[in-house]
Amino acid sequence: MGKYTLIITEKPDAAQRIAQALDGKGKPKKVEENGVPYFIAHRDRELVVVPALGHLYTVIHERGRRNYYPVFNFKWAPRHLAERGAKQIRTWIETISKLAKDAEDFIAACDYDLEGSLIGYCILKYACENKEGVAKRMKFSTLMKSELERAYEEPLPQLNFALIEAGRTRHEVDWLYGVNLSRALTLAARRWSGRYSTLSTGRVQGPTLRFLIGREKEIRSFVPTPYWEIKAEVEIKKSTCEVEYERKRIEKKAEADAVVRACTDKIGEIKEVGVRKFHQKPPIPFDIGTLQTEAYSLFGYTPRRTLGIAQRLYLDALISYPRTSSQKLPPIIDYKKILNALSKEPAYKKLASKLLEKEELKPREGAKEDPAHPAVYPTGNLPERTLSDPEKKVWDLVVKRFMAVFGETAIKQSVKIRLEVNSHNFFLRGRRILKEGWMQFYKPYARAEETLLPPIKEGETILLKRVMRDDKFTNPPPRYNPSSLLKKMEGLGIGTKATRADIIETLYNRGYVTDERMVVTDLGFDIVDILSKCAPRVISVKLTQELEKKMERIQSKSEKRENILLEAVEQLKPQLEQFKEKEGPIGEALSNAIKRARMQERIVGGCPTCGTGTLMILFSRRTRKRFIGCTNYFKGICKTSFPLPQRGTAKPMEKTCSSCGWPLVRVQIRGRRPWRLCFNPNCPLKEERRKRNEMQNLQ
Amino acid sequence: MKCRICNKEAVEKYCELHEKAYRSIVQKYEDWKRAMDISYREYLNEILKNSYTGSWAKEVVEKLMKDGDR
Repeated sequence: MGKYTLIITEKPDAAQRIAQALDGKGKPKKVEENGVPYFIAHRDRELVVVPALGHLYTVIHERGRRNYYPVFNFKWAPRHLAERGAKQIRTWIETISKLAKDAEDFIAACDYDLEGSLIGYCILKYACENKEGVAKRMKFSTLMKSELERAYEEPLPQLNFALIEAGRTRHEVDWLYGVNLSRALTLAARRWSGRYSTLSTGRVQGPTLRFLIGREKEIRSFVPTPYWEIKAEVEIKKSTCEVEYERKRIEKKAEADAVVRACTDKIGEIKEVGVRKFHQKPPIPFDIGTLQTEAYSLFGYTPRRTLGIAQRLYLDALISYPRTSSQKLPPIIDYKKILNALSKEPAYKKLASKLLEKEELKPREGAKEDPAHPAVYPTGNLPERTLSDPEKKVWDLVVKRFMAVFGETAIKQSVKIRLEVNSHNFFLRGRRILKEGWMQFYKPYARAEETLLPPIKEGETILLKRVMRDDKFTNPPPRYNPSSLLKKMEGLGIGTKATRADIIETLYNRGYVTDERMVVTDLGFDIVDILSKCAPRVISVKLTQELEKKMERIQSKSEKRENILLEAVEQLKPQLEQFKEKEGPIGEALSNAIKRARMQERIVGGCPTCGTGTLMILFSRRTRKRFIGCTNYFKGICKTSFPLPQRGTAKPMEKTCSSCGWPLVRVQIRGRRPWRLCFNPNCPLKEERRKRNEMQNLQ
Repeated sequence: MKCRICNKEAVEKYCELHEKAYRSIVQKYEDWKRAMDISYREYLNEILKNSYTGSWAKEVVEKLMKDGDR
């Protein structure tokens, strides 16, 4: 190879796409060195496209041991020096460094956002030895050939240093908070109990857990209040319809009973028929947050899963860059071209043609903007491989949403009929769609239920067929789920579009929350309790919001990185000193919380023998063997116990056996597939299996 | 002083969390009385078996019923 241009991408898939798009024949040569792939393409000159593996560099403690805090001295270093499982990073950096030596020009072609800019910058600065100042920048929002070619032909003359500075600051501030607070928690627990457990909190994680706890407290101390509703049915022209009573809630039972008595078997008169037309504008284009919320409500995918799927669709050049906060679709993306391309797919042909018939294509847009990328939209490319079911669903959602934003306003009609019965008013409601508008493009995702009413006129009389009192209670506030929590974080302005989903996942991984409807565990409560006593500022939502805003200002060059770092240190220092002073009691509280959490993990279910005890995975003091035993054994009430396999891990599954209804345990031995164990010795399934085996032996 | 239910540090009779639930129980009784004209004991019984009642509130109710307390 002679002299060449080195193009750096964020991931291997993106490198392959870019190399294919830029190579004159569309067939770049793939080379692999020590497991690191890169691509050689020929265009006006030789191009070497080398991928990163996300972040290759990270913030680490500059010097010193791992087991103390506070630590405020840091540096950027290869990720393998900080993370145990990142050995591959070393060879990756070595390969890039080797390729950089013979390169003449450098182009950063990572995603055009905070993280992508930082990934490219670090590689150019550290692996390519200070080439960040001479490198150019390819800016693109899709991995389509035409857009990549344009980005290559017309690169930005230099890196976006304001974006890089903002990214650097965010990583450094997060490291300062994360490493100090997590070490403080972990070391306090370890010094007290002598046992190591990973505990963590961070600049965003702490405040997020705190407002989850706020909700949990409301739910757990909730006392419902009774109220009553009146349910009634009428028969109109041989069809039965439900009618609503004029008061949605009746606070006194006696009043509700009086209404039932007054209206049962009575004939009412139609006093009013009100017809109202209303318009429903098309939806706005997807930013990543609305895409994640919609995918959760339609398919039940967690925000992280949706992001992962969207990322894969982006790397396949099927949709535009998904990590965007924009709700705008600029005309430059060429709506007609995309619709024309989509019309090649039979499922979209009719819909796309309808839109293409329009004189002008004007999308309805939301208020949010992103300087780097437009809203998420389909590129018009059709899948080159068979998409998995979830990929198909998310792609279809993006395509249909894109089409729907160009649709016309839907017109709906609502009918409200007032029925007077013995001086009480009841309402009959109907709804129908007069003009589908955008809804035809967003099927089956648009909610389009219709309630058609039989024709009816004022003055007609109707018999109230059934009147009954419905006993109701006020409900506690709903628990957050990953999607509503993400929305809440977005609303509060904490975290970024790239980090929120991971933070939610960390809350699960650390055992601070469980279940899809997020329930805060005792450990989660204790962490926030301790932090609110010893370091209240680090879990303050308000302070995190302020810090976020300041960091955003770096991007517009109205704030300096140094000031923010200094502020972070000044905030952390007194809080950590206070923490250290109380390390003993904090360690005790944390150790007890961890112990409780571990005990909780060993609970299998209720004891089927005594009915009052709990079955747990226990260890014999004498033989050290593992078994399932009843907690009432210690009270001398119940001696129920069941054997467990001694090898591998055994964890309660929180599911019951389909045959006998006993709780199941998941057993996993290294190198073997995990299996479900029903420990009921008399389970009918076991009997069936035994008989089957016997039959086979006889044969 | 320790919480009568969970043994954590108490604010008055209960820890901060159970105290919050206790106050809610006392406060809501007025609504129930107005709505159904029931005695305090009946009210406690009702909220104990209600699936919307929070777990801390239920713990407090159990304690109140056991102690015959108010």
